[in-house]
Amino acid sequence: MSDRRPLRYEDEGNVHLDFHGATNTTIEFIVERFGVEALHAIFERVGKDVYADLRRHLLDGDADELVRHWHHYFGRENADFEITVEADGTIVLTVRRCPAYEHARQLAGAVSPHFCDQTTVTNNAMADGTPFSITTEITGEGSCRQIVRRRRR
Amino acid sequence: MIPSDHFTRFYNEVFKFLEARSEADLQDYWLAISANQERHTLDLFRQQGLAGMEQYWLHIREEENCDLDIERGDEWLELRMKKCPSLSKVLDNDAEPMGRYCDHCAGWIGPIMDKLGYHLVYDVIDRKQPQCVMRVFTDAETAAEVEARAQLPMSWPGKCKR
Repeated sequence: MSDRRPLRYEDEGNVHLDFHGATNTTIEFIVERFGVEALHAIFERVGKDVYADLRRHLLDGDADELVRHWHHYFGRENADFEITVEADGTIVLTVRRCPAYEHARQLAGAVSPHFCDQTTVTNNAMADGTPFSITTEITGEGSCRQIVRRRRR
Repeated sequence: MIPSDHFTRFYNEVFKFLEARSEADLQDYWLAISANQERHTLDLFRQQGLAGMEQYWLHIREEENCDLDIERGDEWLELRMKKCPSLSKVLDNDAEPMGRYCDHCAGWIGPIMDKLGYHLVYDVIDRKQPQCVMRVFTDAETAAEVEARAQLPMSWPGKCKR
């Protein structure tokens, strides 16, 4: 990547993958006690508030910041992934091995069926009201495609 | 994927959600996290005692990039956090920090120590500063004496009165 401006959050150093196990525990706790809508409400806050800077870039018509974010964090966690840009500008993140899903499964044995909602709902919330849509397709256990398209006017 | 680096900011959103519902919901969540953490700690702490705790937090210091001093005696363990990465990230955040974010640490560690018969004294000192001191004792009276001098001692679900 030629753009060396720091990301709003740009962590360095070691990674603590066990947090993905705590995410799975959290998802199970919230869904069991409050239901899926409550879980989604929390992820919407993540997408709109925690990732306010990424959302601002999308609102300004800039999806490159999200691509930089993906490169940085999927790279840090040693995911098997690639990001391609199609002729019409559509951006496709293909995750063949998701480190979050894989690590949570190693720790807990079984992963919550709502585990990937963290991606789907957070993406939707980030893109809400922006010129872009982000579609998350779950293609298997620990694999997905995340597609950023410019919305038709 | 919410990156593991950003878990604490997600955690912060969960705390705000639960605090708005009830204190009991928040404490039950800490207990759920405590049960989750048992898979990383319980056997180690039970089998190796304070040495096992030191081993666990040495590992955490490295993986979580903590500025943390760890000392151990025959009957105590002390963790002196000089820059907590967890609270630091929550404060460096476009979302609003939960005012009692620090309380979660004692919230999950305390029940494990109680279960194993150790005595935790958790002094957060100031909830807005990423610094704290955690001590574990084998002796309840010593723990009570140290806790009496703490600036901001933490409680946790099921904490016994000393």
